[in-house]
Amino acid sequence: MGLIEEVLTIELPVGESFRIQRCRYLPLKGESNKRISVVSGIHGDELEGQYVCFLLGQWLRENPEKIRGTIDIYPAINSLGLDSITRSIPFYGVDLNRTFPGSKNDFLPAQIADGVVEVMRGSDIAVDIHSSNIFLREIPQVRIAKSQEKMLVPLANLLNIDFVWVHDAVTVLESTFAHAMNTIGTKTLVVEMGVGMRLGKAYGHQLLDGLLNLMAHEGILDIDPLDVRFPIQSHVGEVAYLNASSPGLFVPAIEHCQVIEKGSLVGHIVSPLSGEILDDVIAPIGGILFTIRAYPIVYEGSLLGRIFGEKQ
Amino acid sequence: MRRFDIVTLDSPNRAPLRIEGFLFGEHHDNAPSVAIVGAMNGDQINQLYVASGLVEYLRRKEEEGKIIGEILVIPAVNPYALNMGEKNWPLDKTDLNMMFPGYDQGETTQRITARLFETLKGYDYGIILEGRRDQGMCLPYVKLIQSGYEDLDAVRDLGMGFVHYRPYEPIETAMLQYNWQLWETNAFAIVFGKNGAIDQSDSDEVHNALIRFLSKRKLLDWPVFEGKKSNILHSQQITLLKASRAGIFIPKVHCGAFVKKGEVIGLIMDALSGEKREKMVAPCEGIVTCQYSHPLIFQNSIAFRIASVEHSSTQERL
Repeated sequence: MGLIEEVLTIELPVGESFRIQRCRYLPLKGESNKRISVVSGIHGDELEGQYVCFLLGQWLRENPEKIRGTIDIYPAINSLGLDSITRSIPFYGVDLNRTFPGSKNDFLPAQIADGVVEVMRGSDIAVDIHSSNIFLREIPQVRIAKSQEKMLVPLANLLNIDFVWVHDAVTVLESTFAHAMNTIGTKTLVVEMGVGMRLGKAYGHQLLDGLLNLMAHEGILDIDPLDVRFPIQSHVGEVAYLNASSPGLFVPAIEHCQVIEKGSLVGHIVSPLSGEILDDVIAPIGGILFTIRAYPIVYEGSLLGRIFGEKQ
Repeated sequence: MRRFDIVTLDSPNRAPLRIEGFLFGEHHDNAPSVAIVGAMNGDQINQLYVASGLVEYLRRKEEEGKIIGEILVIPAVNPYALNMGEKNWPLDKTDLNMMFPGYDQGETTQRITARLFETLKGYDYGIILEGRRDQGMCLPYVKLIQSGYEDLDAVRDLGMGFVHYRPYEPIETAMLQYNWQLWETNAFAIVFGKNGAIDQSDSDEVHNALIRFLSKRKLLDWPVFEGKKSNILHSQQITLLKASRAGIFIPKVHCGAFVKKGEVIGLIMDALSGEKREKMVAPCEGIVTCQYSHPLIFQNSIAFRIASVEHSSTQERL
């Protein structure tokens, strides 16, 4: 059984403290050889990671003799937000994942960010599980900044995900948890899967297998590596974005995570008022539709999907 | 005066978004042009109030034949948010002032800012009426970021007491001031008030500063009183006083107060027991330029900013 600890507390104005808890699993005997942190809930409206934390905790409780390293599970970083369906840090409205590395001597979101970094400092690996947002549904994927491609792609390939997306560096992403942790020597992978405010059980089990496989390869678990899927690599193709051409209700025509042909129908934008179909949303390239809109109300420009396909 | 739509965007169900502009005067070879942007967020009521008051003032001056160059005023960039008590774009909560220069093939808010920016490009001067980005209120001041394209002389013509002149932060590269400067408009922001409220005295000060600027820069043929001599403040001259405890915040002084070192300027009480948790003492002599404006305060929130003539050596700075 893991050791549940309160690893960060910060005084709130009215008789309460903000808290972050973790559950730590150690080897039954012998020294711990490596340390991994499994993290979820940096955004309070993303819940897929909470389920993965549960599944991993359940597995570890059933298999304590297999543990060779330190396995820390942090299911709820933005605990105020998770318990109130709030993506950002409540009161401040600040996205915690744009506040790293943070500072002890700054406002609440920065103190939380700083506390998170300090608590996880020294981990060899961290896996930060996100579930997109309430607008988009994603297939299980890992996103990696170009500058960290060499170090992280081999690890990401162990995670039983469908897609590894290496993207160009964007200044604003330097304020993320992953960037802060990678900077201090913790190899940190960002998983995106599912959709905000919902659970997808299958994705949770898929990532559990990936985490077990990763820990087997790293010697943190004394088990045989699992037979996992090898993800599609983004460098072999390109990503096409589908943006709404008009406002209305987006009604998808195909299931998520489907290979589609160039020119095929992805969905319609319809008018509930007039009963008209306002636009046919057509795939501009062939490939795999790895993102699709989950929240149907759209304005002009709203992202409807992303397709990964061969370079044109 | 010409009233026109700068951006229109259809909505799935509500009436279309309209960002309206009010154009005064016309291009003149011997006079510059200026664009003034009001509320970019839905809680910037003070900025909306000053901008719409300016529209009314300029309408009258135009009728009197007093406008020489071209003046564009955009009172509200985000009327959708203003009309529903939201701060940001109501659907996805993005801050429009974090989406510049925009992208006309991108997400909705990138398209809105791209279209707006097309209109804003090419003006000689760009003035942004800004609210605070934290839970504070402040004396009206000019925020001028150092991008290499800023014009310190121009902002002195506002005649405002303080100009905060500082390097830009990475996050500001997505904001209007930085991008406007990059496109060679002399852009600056006037920050004032408390979000969600109107302060008449601050509004009058900013209104008068705008008219002074227009007059001194030869856009308005109208005499004005001289303003204040602007103090150019660098970040090292601003001392932060933070709350060491959370609780109920009772300020003892207000923005504009001159405080002495050692003076008690605020208290923090335990919100349940009523016990005094912290006595906040001014760490230096100076003028309180900003203060925390919510009655509940968090640990390490900035309770006061104090501007001093001399550079602070011991306090944390911003």
